[in-house]
Amino acid sequence: MTYLTTTWNIALHSLRENYKHRFFGLFVIFAGILIYVSLLAGVMAVDEEARVLTDLGLALMELITLAYALLAAAAAITNEIKTKTIYLIFSRPVPRPAYLAGKAAGLYAASALMLGVMGLIHLSLLYSRGFTMPPFYLKAVFFIWCKLLMIISVALFVSFFATSTVSTVAITGIFWTLGHFTSEAKFLVARSSGAAAAALKAVAYFIPNFQLFNVRDLGAGAPAAASPGFLAGYLLLWMVVPYLFSLLLFRKKEF
Amino acid sequence: MMTSPQEKVISFSEVTKIYRRPGLLKKTETPALRGLSLELERGEIAGLLGLNGAGKTTIMKLLTGLLFPDAGDISVFGLPPSDVASKKRIGFLPELPYFYPYATAPEALMFYAGLSGLSGAAARKRVDAVIEKVGLKTHAAKKAAEFSKGMMQRLGVAQAIVHDPELLILDEPVSGLDPLAIHEIRELISQLNDEGKTVFLSSHSISELEKITDRVFIMVQGRLAKTVARAEWESTRGGLEEIFVQTVKTGNV
Repeated sequence: MTYLTTTWNIALHSLRENYKHRFFGLFVIFAGILIYVSLLAGVMAVDEEARVLTDLGLALMELITLAYALLAAAAAITNEIKTKTIYLIFSRPVPRPAYLAGKAAGLYAASALMLGVMGLIHLSLLYSRGFTMPPFYLKAVFFIWCKLLMIISVALFVSFFATSTVSTVAITGIFWTLGHFTSEAKFLVARSSGAAAAALKAVAYFIPNFQLFNVRDLGAGAPAAASPGFLAGYLLLWMVVPYLFSLLLFRKKEF
Repeated sequence: MMTSPQEKVISFSEVTKIYRRPGLLKKTETPALRGLSLELERGEIAGLLGLNGAGKTTIMKLLTGLLFPDAGDISVFGLPPSDVASKKRIGFLPELPYFYPYATAPEALMFYAGLSGLSGAAARKRVDAVIEKVGLKTHAAKKAAEFSKGMMQRLGVAQAIVHDPELLILDEPVSGLDPLAIHEIRELISQLNDEGKTVFLSSHSISELEKITDRVFIMVQGRLAKTVARAEWESTRGGLEEIFVQTVKTGNV
């Protein structure tokens, strides 16, 4: 059996595992409620209702899917080890690189599914208020997903050395937060020296720059942060490098 | 791919395994296997017998590539245990198998069949046949979360045989089961052996091993203390139990 077939089987299973988990449904319901509650803010915004509803909705979609993705990625492999279901997988002809790639792909697909469902809920709110889908909407949702792909890859890697699911979520959460300030860090690097400069350099170059993918800002007419080719390469780099490091830790792991 | 009669199905040569636990200042080392050498011939049912911590589960995990040896060589069908080609020919039942709680028996088995290289109609046909064989047909619509321990064990056996392996590695296959379920699992193991499968199982139950196996390896503190053939325990007063007790007491290494 090829690597690809095994990866596909693991990915499908990982996706099924995610959407059948009660947390998945609860997160979507919670997001739906919050998106509809944002109606209050929209009403208060009077003339800016469409913009406020769009921005708030997209932000909620991003944060809630992020929370789910971090929890799911942090527990994806550690739970299989804890419950020993991994015994039944690795006693079969399943290469470890294929397993890891499949698990990641399943998580990517689950986060896409969650974003898709939330997007439909959000659009239903916009249409119910008489607005149409903003022109940048699909692009914004796609770029939120791109950010999630990177953070899921990082979370999977962190889960191999973190002591618990909570610490994986905490460490990756810090990555996520710092990743929105890399431009500021680069600016400060130029003005700092010594230890401060080294720390800022680490933030600037060893943490993904999520700001590149903040296309929500395009709603305000901001220019794209980088060319599509650069963004695609950057995304791929931040998916592949954590995968390779994960593989390094996972290759000889005993169960 | 079939094994030639001369080919050893399993071979351990001077295998040592040490568990290492990182501590504050230094690692704690616990030897689990010390210089273990044993071989299994095609078509036999062999058992592993030993007290808790004797190294039985470690042997099973080394055979399935879940653990790696610190020294020595292990081969399964002449290949390293981590080789996917050898894994295709193995069916493994771990002690107390656990399944994804949301999956029904057919769903779980389809997943495992897929990982073992089966797909489509062939996989479905095989899954149906195996469900029937292990007696889970009436529970096929139930989710694993609703399964009793006996049903879990049956599903465990089903996943181990779903891809029709040549070698079955069963870790405590009748642990915690009621007498009727034990009888049925035993019958199933015999039936699989009659079909030509080699079976390697571990158990705490001396009477179980006595009933089903051709040979028993007695493990004492990570060492192979004695290999006993059926003829030997059948001709000994007190049977396998007496041999086991004497071996453990004298530490007959």
